Amino acid sequence: MKLTIDEVAQCLDVPLSTVERWIRQGRIPVGKSGGECIFQKPILEVWAKKHNISLTLSDKKVKKHSQDKPVNLFNAMALGGVYYDIEGDSVSEVLESALKNIAFLDQDEKETLWVKLLEREEMASTGIGRGIAIPHPRTPLDESMEEPVIVTCFLKNPVDYRAVDGFPVFVLFILLSPSVKTHLHLLSRLAFCVRDASFVDFLKGIPDRERLMEKVENLEYAS
Amino acid sequence: MKPWRYPARWALFKMDDRLLMMFIGAIVGTCSGFAAVVLNHSLLFLLEWLSQWRQHWWAFILPAIGAALSSLFLEKVVKEGAGHGVPEVIYSVSRYGGLIRLRSTFSRLVSSCLTIGSGGSAGPEAPVVMSGSAIGSNIARFFSLNDRQRVTLVGCGAAGAISSIFNAPIAGIVFTIEVILGEWTALNIIPIAIAAVAGTEISRALQGNQIVFSHKVFDIDMGDILASIGVAVFTAAASILLTHGLRSMHKISGKVRAPLWIRAAIGGSMVGIIGLFLPVVLGEGYHSVHTMIEGNFSSGLAFVAIACLTKILATSLTLGWGGSGGIFAPCLVIGSLVGLAYHRALSMLWPSVDWVNEGCFALLGMAGLISGMLQAPLTGIFLIVEITGGYAVILPLIMVSAISATLCHYIEPSSFYLKELVDRGHLLRPGTDARVLSDLNIKELLETDCVCVSQNMSLRDFVKIVETSRRNYYPVENDETGEFVGMLHLDDIRPYLFNRMLYDAVLVGQIMNPHVETVLPDEDLSKILRKMDSQRLFSMPVVVNNRFVGMISKATLLDKYRKELMVQTSF
Repeated sequence: MKLTIDEVAQCLDVPLSTVERWIRQGRIPVGKSGGECIFQKPILEVWAKKHNISLTLSDKKVKKHSQDKPVNLFNAMALGGVYYDIEGDSVSEVLESALKNIAFLDQDEKETLWVKLLEREEMASTGIGRGIAIPHPRTPLDESMEEPVIVTCFLKNPVDYRAVDGFPVFVLFILLSPSVKTHLHLLSRLAFCVRDASFVDFLKGIPDRERLMEKVENLEYAS
Repeated sequence: MKPWRYPARWALFKMDDRLLMMFIGAIVGTCSGFAAVVLNHSLLFLLEWLSQWRQHWWAFILPAIGAALSSLFLEKVVKEGAGHGVPEVIYSVSRYGGLIRLRSTFSRLVSSCLTIGSGGSAGPEAPVVMSGSAIGSNIARFFSLNDRQRVTLVGCGAAGAISSIFNAPIAGIVFTIEVILGEWTALNIIPIAIAAVAGTEISRALQGNQIVFSHKVFDIDMGDILASIGVAVFTAAASILLTHGLRSMHKISGKVRAPLWIRAAIGGSMVGIIGLFLPVVLGEGYHSVHTMIEGNFSSGLAFVAIACLTKILATSLTLGWGGSGGIFAPCLVIGSLVGLAYHRALSMLWPSVDWVNEGCFALLGMAGLISGMLQAPLTGIFLIVEITGGYAVILPLIMVSAISATLCHYIEPSSFYLKELVDRGHLLRPGTDARVLSDLNIKELLETDCVCVSQNMSLRDFVKIVETSRRNYYPVENDETGEFVGMLHLDDIRPYLFNRMLYDAVLVGQIMNPHVETVLPDEDLSKILRKMDSQRLFSMPVVVNNRFVGMISKATLLDKYRKELMVQTSF
C-alpha cells in the first residue's frame, strides 16, 4: 500500500513541514517517483516500530465524522412526534401512558425504558421548572438508535412532578439519544428554548403539531 | 534527468542505502586522500624551493609574505574566514546537514600551503580535514543525497584525509567519530571505515607505506608508567598554555587597526624573527619530531624547554594573527619537546634510575598534547600508536592521554575546536536538547485553532464564542486594522462570567491583557523556552507584523519534541 506525504503527516500526527524536513534530513524512509514522494506502508510500519512511534492509519477519520454530525432540536422533535392528552395522576402513570404512544419502540423496549426513566426521576426530578419536565434515561439507550429523538407529550392534567420550582408539570419532552454527547447538546438547546418566557406561554396554550414545529424551527434557526 | 546522478534509485542501492553509502564513501575517501597527498607534496616542494634563501638575514620576511598571501587569498579570492576550518565543519554538520561550499575543497589547501610552506608554525591536517569534508559534502550534493547521508559523507571525507596524511586509518576513523560527528552509529561507522581504508591506500600507493615516525624498541617497566603521569601533567599545562596563547594572540591582533593581510604579515614576520634564532619552530616541524622520537636530539634541558615555549609562541603568532593552518602538527612538536624536557629533568634529578629511552617520553608527550588540545583521548591514543608503530607503549600512552584530557577538561571545559562553537551556542551534538530544539522550528509547532476576537466585542458575544471553542486563549485584534492588541485568557473573564448584568457593560478590550510577550516565527526555540520558564508562561502568541498567526505552547512542544527525539536517536 502506498501513502502520500499528506497521509503520512496525518498518520504520524505531525505537520506537513515536519515530514518534509524529515525527508530532507533522511530520517524517514521514502521513495520517489517522478517529483512525488511515495511511502511504502510496510516499510513505514517497520520504521515506526523501530523508533517507537505510533502510526495511526486513517480509518478513524470516517468514524469521527458520523459522531460529529450536527444534531438539531427541530429534527429530533420532528422524529419523536407530538402527543396530546396523556393521562395519569402520578409521575409513573404519566410516563407509562406516554410511552404507550411511542410507535418506534416495541413492548419490551418500552418497559426497560420506563424503568430507566423512573430510576432517573428517583435520583432527582427532571422537572426543570415552569411546568416543563425533560424525562431521560441516565445512560444512553443501546446502539440500535441512530438518531436522537425528542418525544413531546402534553398532559391531560398537570401532575405534581416534584419540580424544582414546585409548579405542576403540563408538558414532557422525553429525550432519547444514542450518545451522551448528543444528549447534552440537545439538553442545552432545549434548556435554551424553555428559558424564553414567551415560548413557555406559547406551550401553555397547547399548540397543535404544525404550529409547535413551526415555532421550534424559528427558534432553532434564529439563534 | 541523468539517471547516473541519482544513484539512490539504482536497483542495487534501492534495497539498502548502506550499500550506497559504502560505495560513495570509498569514492570520497579516495578523493580526500588525493587532496592530502597533493598538499603534502606541494608543501615539500615549497619548502625545498624556499630553502635556498633561508640562510639570508632577511629570511624572516618569508613567513610574513606567506601569511599575508594566504590571508589575502582567503579574504579576497574565496571570501572565507581565516582559521583552520574544523569548527566550521562541525557546525555545518550539526546545523546545515553537512552543507559545505565547493570552494572550501581547495581554499584551505592553498592558504595553509602558503602559510606553512613559507615557514609559519602550523599544521596541514586541519585544512586537509576541511577540504576532505567539503569534498564529501559536494559529492553528496552532486548525487542529491539527503542530510543524514551527506553528514556521513562529510565524515568519510575527514576520515580519508586524516588517514591519508598520517598513513593512519584507525586514527582517521576515531578522529571523525570523536571530534567531527560526535556520534557513533551502525549506519555511519562502516562507510567512514571504508573511506579511511581508501584514503590510506591512496597515500600508500603514492608515497609508499612508511611509518611516519619510526623509533627504536622501548623497554618499559613500572617506573616509567608511573613517571608518565608527570608527562600528562606537563602536557596538560602546555595544552592550556597553547590554547590561551592562541586566544590572547587572536584578541591582540583584533585590536590592531589594519587590514587582515597586514596583521597576518606582522604575525608572520615575528615568527620569522624567532626562526632566525631557533629554526626548530618553523614550519610543520615533523623533521625535529623525527629526531626526537629516534632519541637523536642532542640539545640540553634548557634549550629544549625554551624551544618548547617558543614553539607555543610561534604557533600562537602564526594562527592568532591570521595565518592559516591547523594545530595538529604544532601539537606533535610541542608534545615531543615537553616529553623530552621532562625526560631530561628526570634523568637530572635521579641519574641513578635507568629510565627508558627519551624517544618514548617524546612520544607520550605528543599523545598527551593531542588529547589535551582536542580533548579527544581516543584520537590521541590511536594516532600516536599508528604514526609511531609503537604498540609497545600503549599502557603509558593510555594513561597520559586519559589524564591529560581530564586535566584539560577540568581547567578548560570545552576543547580548542569546540570553544568558539560553545561560546556562540552553536555546538549541537546529535541527540542533545540543543540539537532537537534547533531542528524543530516554530512553524511546525504552531497551533492555529485559536479563535480571534475583536477588541470591541461585548462580553455577551464573547461568552457565545467561548461556548463553541476549544481553547482557553483568545487573541484580541483591532477591528479596523486587524492588528494584534492583546490576549484574553478564560481566567480573565471568570469574575464577570456569573454576573449577567455585566455582559453588555464589559468589552473584551477592557479585560484583555495588553502586555503579553510575543514571539516571532523565526526566533530560536531555546530562547523562547527560556522566556517561558522565566515568566512561568505556558503558551505564547506568535505575532508577525502585528498580526496574530498562532499560539505556541509547551504541551504541543513536548509532543513534537518527543517525536523528534525518537526519530533522531535509536537506530
